[in-house]
Amino acid sequence: MTSRGDTERPLAVFRSTFSLFVVLSAVIPLYLVVKQALTPERESLAWPPSWFPAKLTAIHFASVFKVSELLSAIVLSVVVAVISAALATALGGMLAYSMARRESSRATGMRALGGLRLLPMIATAIPLAVVLTRLGLYDSPTGIGLAIIHAAVAIPAAALTTYSAFVAVPVELEEAAWLDGATPMRIFVSIDLALARGALAAAFILCFIMSWDEFGFSLLIQVTNRTLPPLLYYYTVFGNVGPASALALIMIIPAVAVTLALRPMLRGSLLAGSFR
Amino acid sequence: MKRAPLSLWLTFTGVPLAFAFAVLVLPALQGVRTSFDSCGPSLDNYSTILHDRMFWEALANNLIVPLGSLALELIAGLGLALLLTSKPHASPLLEASAILPFAMPEIVCLAIARFGLGPRGYVNAALAGVGVNPLPWLAPGRALSLLSVMVVDAWHVTPVVMLMLIAGLQTIPDELYEAARLDGAGPIKTFRYVTLPMLAPAIVAAVVLRGVDALRIFSTALVLTGAEGVPVLSTYAYELWSDAREPAVAMAASVILAALVTVVGFAGMGLLRVVGLKELPA
Repeated sequence: MTSRGDTERPLAVFRSTFSLFVVLSAVIPLYLVVKQALTPERESLAWPPSWFPAKLTAIHFASVFKVSELLSAIVLSVVVAVISAALATALGGMLAYSMARRESSRATGMRALGGLRLLPMIATAIPLAVVLTRLGLYDSPTGIGLAIIHAAVAIPAAALTTYSAFVAVPVELEEAAWLDGATPMRIFVSIDLALARGALAAAFILCFIMSWDEFGFSLLIQVTNRTLPPLLYYYTVFGNVGPASALALIMIIPAVAVTLALRPMLRGSLLAGSFR
Repeated sequence: MKRAPLSLWLTFTGVPLAFAFAVLVLPALQGVRTSFDSCGPSLDNYSTILHDRMFWEALANNLIVPLGSLALELIAGLGLALLLTSKPHASPLLEASAILPFAMPEIVCLAIARFGLGPRGYVNAALAGVGVNPLPWLAPGRALSLLSVMVVDAWHVTPVVMLMLIAGLQTIPDELYEAARLDGAGPIKTFRYVTLPMLAPAIVAAVVLRGVDALRIFSTALVLTGAEGVPVLSTYAYELWSDAREPAVAMAASVILAALVTVVGFAGMGLLRVVGLKELPA
């Protein structure tokens, strides 16, 4: 028993140091983006770069509304994210419902969802560019090609997020409705969809953010009509620090708000894998 | 709704899977065909990349970087999971900070890292501040830039590993800790003989899931160092496609990557079965 005090003290010191490190590694990068977004370009490009702003400016945010490329990237990102999230939630919800009710569907679904994550983005995106060109949807100004891809990629996340909600709907409710003469479609809409609507809303928001964040397919498919992630990439690579930081902040706000709010529901989507 | 007609189940299962298959798998299969085509069936595309020094560098990096990044993620993720679940309860600030790198879009993390690690970036400024010479964190073709890519990649996804391990920690019954305490075990022994063995399935699941994702590394290497700085298979294929305009050769490289991921994925699923997980926990 004497040894416990001896090990707990250094452990407590280690724990505080580690906590401080974690907080700083999140706060400092975030602070620097905000600083760069609000200071003139020459301040960010100076050597050594200043840690604290000497002069504040809103010029980088003002340019978002003046440069048409920026504004259209924001609009296109939102359009693609809304369309793909709606599609993915509808299709993923259907799949999750059949997986929740039938063992054979569940086995098939799990195997297919597992298989999908083995596919590298690049192996699909390059041939897809050819297919979309043939269909006239490549680099589309409405982003419809990219929206379809994002929907397909988000189906596993949508299915896994809604699956447990459908499992939780008691089969007795469905049986009762059946005895009252309701059709299967009616039962699905009035009972299952109604009771799982919270999970469906969460799935929609999650798929929205997955599309909003996605970089690889967006880079390869929207080569001139860019969404936010490829645009931020080019601004970063060409060293436009201020505009890039302003764009980064615009991208961060919805993503961070949603992730922090949906933390309890995150696990299903994490298991469904990231986009790359 | 056991009495619903079979056609309804076929529709509900079939339509979403057919959609995903048509959009993602079918083009990939078409791509496999393209990779074996050079004015007729041939292995020319594969022979081209096998004679390219850059391909071998990309293949080596595609094994080294994921391994290193996975190791960092596991250590940091386990540390964070223990920190956040230990009593007294972690503050909301700590909790939010722990998850923030994953909450931020990947491209934003990479943009920040590129500004921070550049020759005139904040990391070098901090080094200069304490009298250390600046380091070429992202310079092409150096071991240091390999390390930078690993660390940045791990930084963004460590919260995922953390959340998976927290879920695993929460399944360990309190009675076990109680028993260990009554037997006089200190924190280190408790960790070694209670936490670690009980957490093993969650750790294996995290390794398999993250390992498969890590092999598909693309954005981190591309944004930080460019396609030629630290080439990996995805960026190598991307460059062949976008700059060299050689889609068939690019597909050959992609097919090799897909084969690598598939082999590792199936080996991983076998490993999951060994630790008693029949399928991924949902």
